[in-house]
Amino acid sequence: MLGLIARRLFTALPTLFLVITAAFFMMRAAPGNPFQGERQLPPEIEARVMAKYGFDRPLIVQYGTYIADVAHGDLGPSLKYKDKSVGDVLKENFGVSLVLGLSALIVAGVTGIALGIAAALRQNRPADYLVMAVAVAGVCVPTFVTAPLLVLLFASTLQWLPNAGWNNGTLPNLILPVAVLALPQIAIISRLVRAGMIESQRSNFVRTARAKGLPDWRVVLRHALPPALIPLVSYLGPACAGLLTGSLIVERVFALPGLGKFFVISALQRDYTVVMGMVIVYAALILALNLLSDLIAAALDPRVRLS
Amino acid sequence: MRAAVLILAAMLVLVGCSPKGSTAACAPARTCLRMGNGADPATIDPQKINGVEEDNIVGSAMMGLTTEDVNGNVIPGIATRWETSPDGLIWTFHLRDAKWSDGFPVTADDFVFGLRRLLDPKTVAEYGYLLYFIRGAQAVNEGKAPLEALGVMALDAHTLQIKLLHPAPYLLQLTKHQTMYPAPRHIVERYGETWTKDHYVSDGPYVIQTWKLGDYIHATKNPLFFDANNVCIDDIYFYPISDSISAERRVRRGELDWNIDIQSNRIARLRKEIPDYVHTNTWLGTTYIAFNAQVASLKDKRVRHALSMAIDRDFMTKKLLRGGQSSAYSFTPPGVANYTPVQVPPWSSWPYEARQAEARRLLAAAGFGPGHPLKIEITHRNTPDPSLIMSAIQSDWTSIGVQVSLAPEEGQIAYQSYRSRAFQIADAGWIADYNDPKSFLDQLQSKTGTMNYGDYNNPAYDSLLDQADHENDIAKRAALLARAEALMLDDAPFVPIYFYVSKNLLNPNITGFGPNIADRHRIRWMCVKS
Repeated sequence: MLGLIARRLFTALPTLFLVITAAFFMMRAAPGNPFQGERQLPPEIEARVMAKYGFDRPLIVQYGTYIADVAHGDLGPSLKYKDKSVGDVLKENFGVSLVLGLSALIVAGVTGIALGIAAALRQNRPADYLVMAVAVAGVCVPTFVTAPLLVLLFASTLQWLPNAGWNNGTLPNLILPVAVLALPQIAIISRLVRAGMIESQRSNFVRTARAKGLPDWRVVLRHALPPALIPLVSYLGPACAGLLTGSLIVERVFALPGLGKFFVISALQRDYTVVMGMVIVYAALILALNLLSDLIAAALDPRVRLS
Repeated sequence: MRAAVLILAAMLVLVGCSPKGSTAACAPARTCLRMGNGADPATIDPQKINGVEEDNIVGSAMMGLTTEDVNGNVIPGIATRWETSPDGLIWTFHLRDAKWSDGFPVTADDFVFGLRRLLDPKTVAEYGYLLYFIRGAQAVNEGKAPLEALGVMALDAHTLQIKLLHPAPYLLQLTKHQTMYPAPRHIVERYGETWTKDHYVSDGPYVIQTWKLGDYIHATKNPLFFDANNVCIDDIYFYPISDSISAERRVRRGELDWNIDIQSNRIARLRKEIPDYVHTNTWLGTTYIAFNAQVASLKDKRVRHALSMAIDRDFMTKKLLRGGQSSAYSFTPPGVANYTPVQVPPWSSWPYEARQAEARRLLAAAGFGPGHPLKIEITHRNTPDPSLIMSAIQSDWTSIGVQVSLAPEEGQIAYQSYRSRAFQIADAGWIADYNDPKSFLDQLQSKTGTMNYGDYNNPAYDSLLDQADHENDIAKRAALLARAEALMLDDAPFVPIYFYVSKNLLNPNITGFGPNIADRHRIRWMCVKS
């Protein structure tokens, strides 16, 4: 297993390098620059600002400088937030996205797996139809609909929870955004688990476990569930990276200081360095979580060989 | 059930792991103001800020030679009095005994330092050009003269002298503007450009304590501020909230006391439901469409007038936007200081059908009609209000036989097109930097460059503005500027559409909020009703 981890980490570096290269040139190919806006700068001031950040040099030279800086762990200054470095932006906001993402992941994982098992055990019965109907609805209804609806119900009408705000991550402020983030994941997870469970229940090892006279709960949890979770684990790698790096809509509706908002705002405002910093974090997370999901899959199913 | 318990437990664990910091809740026995402030500031460095949101924050902490009263009028700030030379070219300001929040005295030298810092090419401040009427400012800013060549001098610790290139009756508007805030020399020289991170000091009513990007900025009352005894609010929390609907819910629920914006189409409803909360007022801004001077079909003045006449501005402001915006037939909004607004064109009061008929006649006279229709494209920003307005304009122009296509673009791309003149007709808006007609009319001077999108170039207009710059009598200056504007409107290099309106949603428990055209509301005047 250590060999696999070493090999994967070794191949991760060139992948990351390619991602950075592609993102760098795509970002620069977009029209406009970080210093153009509704209030335009006089050309001589704009030229001075461009020179300050080295944007007056040939693109390939800028690229070389950027790669060298990144190799030394320096992601540069934010071009939009003049008092902050990219490191500051990531440091100040990644924690919020992490808390939100992990909470949503745990809620979605626990609820989705429970619903998936329940549906599989009652296949083609009302409980199954109900779970699957909820799952389809969960996938189909976008977060920009669920978020305002939940706010309208629980915050504005019933006044049980705050409308928005982070407030240092207190529980009342977390419930609605976590619910909005978790709902589509619950839907997907329950469908994946249901499909996996139906398949594994028909397998020889589950039939053997039942023939041995094991109690139902043990057959389900010990024998049928672990292999049924493999598709879920493969799915959760990239899904996790998505959840942990924040969501524009949820952060905007609930006024949360997460990373997702900055990713989109920075792209629109051509804050090149912040966008690149986020791309690097996102790519590194995807690579790490994919490796983790492969390792978990191997742990769950002895038929998976790590080689 | 077990799952629910597990979920709750997991969330509690995560909440326990959440980042800790100073709480955003108001401490007992303190008076707090929680304000929705649009977006995060790009910086809190007084010489580098350039946006409204930034000035709301930095303007609570910093104070210039003059400042605003509750209604936005100019009153003494760090300067207690001032005088001008008879020719209006030399201004002398006398400073009070004021202190920075760390106890150091605020001196005339801090103002000299702040202005030199703003204009120093190394600072790359974006707003230096506003002060080019100060002697030496342009040469210093362009790196052609040393900082000492700037016409600003500390005659002694309490006396500041500013020398101008031409009389500027709007100087007192600018001495309260962010470009002329002082800089704490003892701090900036010690800590360099990163002084705003951990060593922020201020000379105004508040001190910025914490900035959590995307979350909030916390400022507390400055006990060393010269008028601290009359400052009621102890703590201010500035929240960056770009979603005005979400902010509206939070104000209604009492989670926020004030939000600086209201979504236009919510205003009529809010006026019925919570009338005491809604504050709208004419603002120093105008939206317009610019004609590209290089497009052959738009070179004929009759075509431009026809297009202007055919726009049903009242429909847009009263039916589409419904936020209190008013129809614009001039560039300078009503109520601007040092000015008498120009006469609106007579056709603005005609019935719409009569305007359409006249527009068709003008187009026909210019050679356009059913057999040879005028074909044009409008490039516009793809944000909600411009998209709505441009669709209405498309409909208006189609009704007089013009074939119009729309080219919506993301803001950055639209501005790129405008700068490179890769458009036929462009939508744009302008918010004045200070309360004076010059801040509007300078946009259309031939020397303005890229922001004169239509490349308007009329030597008579330029000359009138130059004459106004050198006129020391305010009434005569206003007349010259009005003549210039009337001339420009007759040339119709662009079409004003509507005047902006400021839209504040404020809990009626907050007192000391005065409506004003600059939409500047200093929190030092506010209090919370017990």
